[in-house]
Amino acid sequence: MSFFNKMKGGGQSPPVVGLSEILWSWLGAFFGIMPVAFLNYNLFADTDLVFIIGSFGASAVLIYGAIKSPLAQPRNLLGGHIISAIIGVAVFKLFGGHLWLASSLAVATAIAAMHATKTLHPPGGATALIAVIGSQKIHDLGFYYVLVPVGVSACIMLIVALLVNNFCKTRKYPEFWF
Amino acid sequence: MKISKLEIPHLKISNEDIIQAMKKIPGYLDITPSDFLELYNGALAHALERLKSAIKAEHVMETSVVTIDENSSLTDAAKLMADHNVSGLPVMNAQGKVSGILSEKDFLKHMNTQEQPSFMHTILTCLDTSGQCLAHKLKRFKVKEIMSAPPITVTMETPVLEVADILEANRINRVPVLDRQANLAGIIARSDLVRTLS
Repeated sequence: MSFFNKMKGGGQSPPVVGLSEILWSWLGAFFGIMPVAFLNYNLFADTDLVFIIGSFGASAVLIYGAIKSPLAQPRNLLGGHIISAIIGVAVFKLFGGHLWLASSLAVATAIAAMHATKTLHPPGGATALIAVIGSQKIHDLGFYYVLVPVGVSACIMLIVALLVNNFCKTRKYPEFWF
Repeated sequence: MKISKLEIPHLKISNEDIIQAMKKIPGYLDITPSDFLELYNGALAHALERLKSAIKAEHVMETSVVTIDENSSLTDAAKLMADHNVSGLPVMNAQGKVSGILSEKDFLKHMNTQEQPSFMHTILTCLDTSGQCLAHKLKRFKVKEIMSAPPITVTMETPVLEVADILEANRINRVPVLDRQANLAGIIARSDLVRTLS
């Protein structure tokens, strides 16, 4: 197929989901983000700890909105975030002087590492990027960033996913663990 | 059509089939219909390969086989075939191996001059020669002189669909099944295959 012909697409888009799926996705995301945000803004507001980062919004799409996806399974959620966080912090420590380079290296390397470890989870790319472009508060965490917020919050969101997704009769989560 | 040539076109599904099936699943599926089609076709091809080799000759063969010695007279052979109501027999040599196949066709061939004699050809010749029985001249032959040899055989591991192709390609009705030591283990007739498929 020629280069420009490929850009035409030509395939069919998948059908829209039912109303119940929409409601359950909303419920899952609401109760998944809530504890993480509450820890961040209420319980630990006056400390240096961070519990919520942008990539969890993306994870919520997958683990509450597309729960059958291989990208949304526990192995990918936990593995993708943790591996990407390690890479993000390491890249910032090594190349933090050149943010343009550190940013691109962090995301690209995170994707490669997630592929290689069968833990591809799109929000992982954001987790790696935030380690580089994040606030001073994030940078000060160093490798603790991998544990809190990334590890702990991913676990909280996973527990909520197990509870909410399996509460619904037509839903089952996860498809596989590891 | 050859049975083993069963191919994907007979089991093709459309984009619409996939969309309908996707709609029946309540959750969001992280796959496009065209990716699914590619997966389906790949899986189907794999499954067909598996099915083609799953049922083997040993699973459908008849193990109680009526055989005849190659030095027997055709009269004995004809009697054996009539008694057991079979239209063909594996022929055994002194070493106990299958040396040929004796079938009704072999009898007809030696009662006629045609290359591919039919039962009706034989009837016609009989009628033309005003009552003289054509079978009479077979009396002096031994089995090994008119049998089809070397025999076409299959092994116990030959997939049944391949057996069907062998019967069809050679225009034969039965094929002996040999074990690893090339001893007769059974026989598969066309009717055995029909029974397997139904």
